[in-house]
Amino acid sequence: MLAAVVHLEGTSVTVHLTPMEGEGSEELAGVTDPKEPGPIIPELKELAWGAGSFIVFALLMRFFLYPRLKKGMDARYHGIRSAHESADAERAAARAEVAEYEAQLAAIKAEAARKVDDARATLEAERAAAMADVNAEVSAQRSAAMAEAEAAKAAVRDQIAAAVGDVAGRAGELATGRRPSDDVVTRVVQEVMAR
Amino acid sequence: MIAEAFKFPLINSILRWKDLFTSFNKVALIAVAAAVIGTVVFLLAGSKDANTAPKGVRNLAESSVEFIENGIVMQTMGKDGLGWTPFLLSLFIFIYLCNAPGIIPVIYMPATARMAIPMFLALLVWVVYMGVGFKHQGIKYLTHTIWPPGVPVALKPLVGLIELVSNYIVRPFSLTVRLFANMLAGHILLVVFALLTQSLITAETMQALLKPMMVLPLFMLIFLTAFEVLVAFLQAYIFTILTAVYIGSSAHPEH
Amino acid sequence: MEAFAHLVAATGLTADEQKAAAAASSAGFAYGLAAIGPGIGIGYLVGKSVEAMARQPEAAGMVRTTMFLGIAFTEALALIGFVVFILIGL
Repeated sequence: MLAAVVHLEGTSVTVHLTPMEGEGSEELAGVTDPKEPGPIIPELKELAWGAGSFIVFALLMRFFLYPRLKKGMDARYHGIRSAHESADAERAAARAEVAEYEAQLAAIKAEAARKVDDARATLEAERAAAMADVNAEVSAQRSAAMAEAEAAKAAVRDQIAAAVGDVAGRAGELATGRRPSDDVVTRVVQEVMAR
Repeated sequence: MIAEAFKFPLINSILRWKDLFTSFNKVALIAVAAAVIGTVVFLLAGSKDANTAPKGVRNLAESSVEFIENGIVMQTMGKDGLGWTPFLLSLFIFIYLCNAPGIIPVIYMPATARMAIPMFLALLVWVVYMGVGFKHQGIKYLTHTIWPPGVPVALKPLVGLIELVSNYIVRPFSLTVRLFANMLAGHILLVVFALLTQSLITAETMQALLKPMMVLPLFMLIFLTAFEVLVAFLQAYIFTILTAVYIGSSAHPEH
Repeated sequence: MEAFAHLVAATGLTADEQKAAAAASSAGFAYGLAAIGPGIGIGYLVGKSVEAMARQPEAAGMVRTTMFLGIAFTEALALIGFVVFILIGL
């Protein structure tokens, strides 16, 4: 180990390399003897302690620590897996129930729709029948009224014809001094009115 | 005017420590503490109720187990390798807990920055993957690793030599050196920037600008500390995944 | 290196100390040279991995694992250089 001592004197620099024996290192760590074997020579005591502690640790791990931990892990994984499976089964069951419920619901809905349709059809039929009745009554009344009106009209027309015939006969009597026969007057009046 | 250069302490003085008591030093303490902490964490985790959602300690332990299983074993060995999970798990946790003290205040010493623990672990892994190879392939394992199936006869000496060196020497050596050198380099970097900061603060100088300059190494120190958090994890991960790869390749040579 | 050797010789140190000084200087070169190749290699490797992950995000996990393995192997060379640096320099 060398220490470089640098002298700076004005512009010139001189370097002295001086061997350094252990000084300046004591304050760092409790070193036993700086002249001991090199840094890459294994020391027997470290080898022995390291080997012993590792072998004990590895054997403990192999025969006690690891199997115990692994058993717990496996048990938990198994538990989780079976819980998953049962959850899947439950989910499937719930799905089946839902499907069943939906089927029932559909059946009931169809039934309800059918009933509503039936009721509607009945209602339609009843309404049509009532309408037909009402219509028939209305037309009967209308035809009766028509007949009545026709009869009244014919009576009025007969009265008008009689009156016109009477007036026409009177007028002919006054003009010719001779009264035409009623049959002729009636026939003439009826011809004129029919025109 | 004499300005003394920045003095870096002897390498041993930042790595070696006085024995706490006979043949038990700080590195040994960290190794023992790593094993104890790992055991306690898993002990606590195992004693918690396993059937509720994991929280706290149990969550930590379970996520580390799942990390080893999904991130390392399944990626390298497949389903057959799941039996290696406890070994790889203890390897990962032990290395991580030995690395981590490098950035924990007061301790500031990664146990793996000393040669002993990485070397022991690498040799153990070497023994394990050789053992697995002999167990799965019998004596053929030797010829299979030296001469992978399908090598032309003319190339056998060359390939054999290369494979021999790479399988039996380079693998454990690189496993050791990778972990050791990474942690040592990180430790030295932290020491360098901490000392730079300290020497700038305590510098006896007439340059008014010199002392405020200490924020630069300080920032670097903070950044490197954050980086070492990552490295501590990454080196444990790499050591473990390489172990898994070696064991996997011994068990099934065709991969 | 030449200039450094001359500088060391000019300080008038003993042969052992000169050797130590030369070792200290060459240690830096050892690590610097050892870091070039792995630096390029890791850059190339990670770049290609990112490209692969961007093209096929569903394979990202596998690519990442393989990337870390590749980095681990490539990095070993630089780390051997670092160990040499520790061995000869400090």
